Amino acid sequence: MLACLCTVLWHLPAVPALNRTGDPGPGLSIQKTYDLTRYLEHQLRSLAGTYLNYLGPPFNEPDFNPPRLGAETLPRATVDLEVWRSLNDKLRLTQNYEAYSHLLCYLRGLNRQAATAELRRSLAHFCTSLQGLLGSIAGVMAALGYPLPQPLPGTEPTWTPGPAHSDFLQKMDDFWLLKELQTWLWRSAKDFNRLKKKMQPPAAAVTLHLGAHGF
Amino acid sequence: MPAGRRGPAAQSARQPPPLLPLLLLCVLGAPRAGSGAHTAVISPQDPTLLIGSSLLATCSVHGDPPGATAEGLYWTLNGRRLPPELSRVLNASTLALALANLNGSRQQSGDNLVCHARDGSILAGSCLYVGLPPEKPVNISCWSKNMKDLTCRWTPGAHGETFLHTNYSLKYKLRWYGQDNTCEEYHTVGPHSCHIPKDLALFTPYEIWVEATNRLGSARSDVLTLDILDVVTTDPPPDVHVSRVGGLEDQLSVRWVSPPALKDFLFQAKYQIRYRVEDSVDWKVVDDVSNQTSCRLAGLKPGTVYFVQVRCNPFGIYGSKKAGIWSEWSHPTAASTPRSERPGPGGGACEPRGGEPSSGPVRRELKQFLGWLKKHAYCSNLSFRLYDQWRAWMQKSHKTRNQDEGILPSGRRGTARGPAR
Repeated sequence: MLACLCTVLWHLPAVPALNRTGDPGPGLSIQKTYDLTRYLEHQLRSLAGTYLNYLGPPFNEPDFNPPRLGAETLPRATVDLEVWRSLNDKLRLTQNYEAYSHLLCYLRGLNRQAATAELRRSLAHFCTSLQGLLGSIAGVMAALGYPLPQPLPGTEPTWTPGPAHSDFLQKMDDFWLLKELQTWLWRSAKDFNRLKKKMQPPAAAVTLHLGAHGF
Repeated sequence: MPAGRRGPAAQSARQPPPLLPLLLLCVLGAPRAGSGAHTAVISPQDPTLLIGSSLLATCSVHGDPPGATAEGLYWTLNGRRLPPELSRVLNASTLALALANLNGSRQQSGDNLVCHARDGSILAGSCLYVGLPPEKPVNISCWSKNMKDLTCRWTPGAHGETFLHTNYSLKYKLRWYGQDNTCEEYHTVGPHSCHIPKDLALFTPYEIWVEATNRLGSARSDVLTLDILDVVTTDPPPDVHVSRVGGLEDQLSVRWVSPPALKDFLFQAKYQIRYRVEDSVDWKVVDDVSNQTSCRLAGLKPGTVYFVQVRCNPFGIYGSKKAGIWSEWSHPTAASTPRSERPGPGGGACEPRGGEPSSGPVRRELKQFLGWLKKHAYCSNLSFRLYDQWRAWMQKSHKTRNQDEGILPSGRRGTARGPAR
């Protein structure tokens, strides 16, 4: 899959921190982010169904599992269980943020000329929702005092023209993009659920937990 | 593993969602399809074909361990395995496929022709685009809202279904000024429509046409020539008010305002009013309302709620000779006619049961006269019933036939009197 021109995302203006007045704490925005991932999961199910029908069989068959040839650059949601459990909050949030930044970029590039106007509208709508999720994650990070990930110079994703990409290969890339999106949303729900639980620990554990935050 | 950030007791005390470890492990453990070193190439790659044509395709395998072989390869088309008699091994590493009399593509993204290894894994794929070139688009119609923009609609050519994605492009140019322009805002009022929002000139005709293009060719509609001023429409009249006319039981007065966007130009505007009784679906239309902003509806039923709507046609704007285009109907406004004053059968019950909304004008006027008389004169014994009794008496004496025809509209003799009073 072609790498993506995504400079616009990396230069998001600094997300204003949450209302400091009567600061409800990050718990509320974590909850909202969690809710958003569930909503997006639901939205994606219908979008993916329609899109895969557009690609036609075998792409819309339930057990379809094509080779993952070009999709190497997609951020992978799958991770070793122990690694996942032991992620610190900052890393957990950063991984989510970076993943959705890339996924949003690819999704925007999914500009299939031949798709129906309705499909293009659904895709555009989903992209807007995904942008909302990114903003929400950024909000949580700001509330917890974590900086937004910035790309290192030289590693910024830019568009590089690759070898001529056949239509069938493109269909497989589209398939994996949707699959990876689904997996990420499913994983993020777990990530934010975990964060949510962490934010409401029993009193004794609070001091311990906050102490661990000082980097 | 990230270095030592374990909140010890707090974290391990919490149970992770039980499903999570199982599913993550499953995903990790899943065998990767196509993980073998063999790949293949299908030729032709993503071809475009006419319906009914034939296709000869090949799948050539190459892989790291030489000995990649065409043995055991097979084809599927849109997920369905193709009969083996259509395939042929050309040489050690190539499998051929012959398809004849192709049908139109099942989906516009192309039919999925896939070459599989013996174990079912996908080695290569090719998208087949089978269809027809587009037909000439037809029936272009356009309208301008308040002379500010232009919206056009068209119908795809006769057979419609080309099985391929067909792109429509609406083009327009001023008749004597050369430069072609392309409309940019599509699907505004349906799938085959486009909206030109600005920079439209008046007083010179436009030439408008639609070009349809797909992978197999293109087609252009006939050119439509029109003057913006001849296809103007406007907003429905705002501020429609319906009110009673004094105590008159069968009349309502409708007032509206000229649509503001064209208010200074609508000298010759035409209006249409439609109204219906509350629980009916049949509208009555008052058609010839020229250039006024009020109208009196008559011949209505007393004590009834009516819904009324008005629409406008900016006829003759800037000297255009043609009728404009009717606006949408205004939002329905409701009002009720006064109940008939006299209680009992003499009053509203006199109105024939058959609902004759078009009561003869004489009868109507007589009712109004009697109503007025009752208020302003000392004729308390006068009633409609008296009038009907008179008429019945007149009919009995056969002299009435000629006299009736003189008084009442034809065909109404005796029909107005319903059986039940």
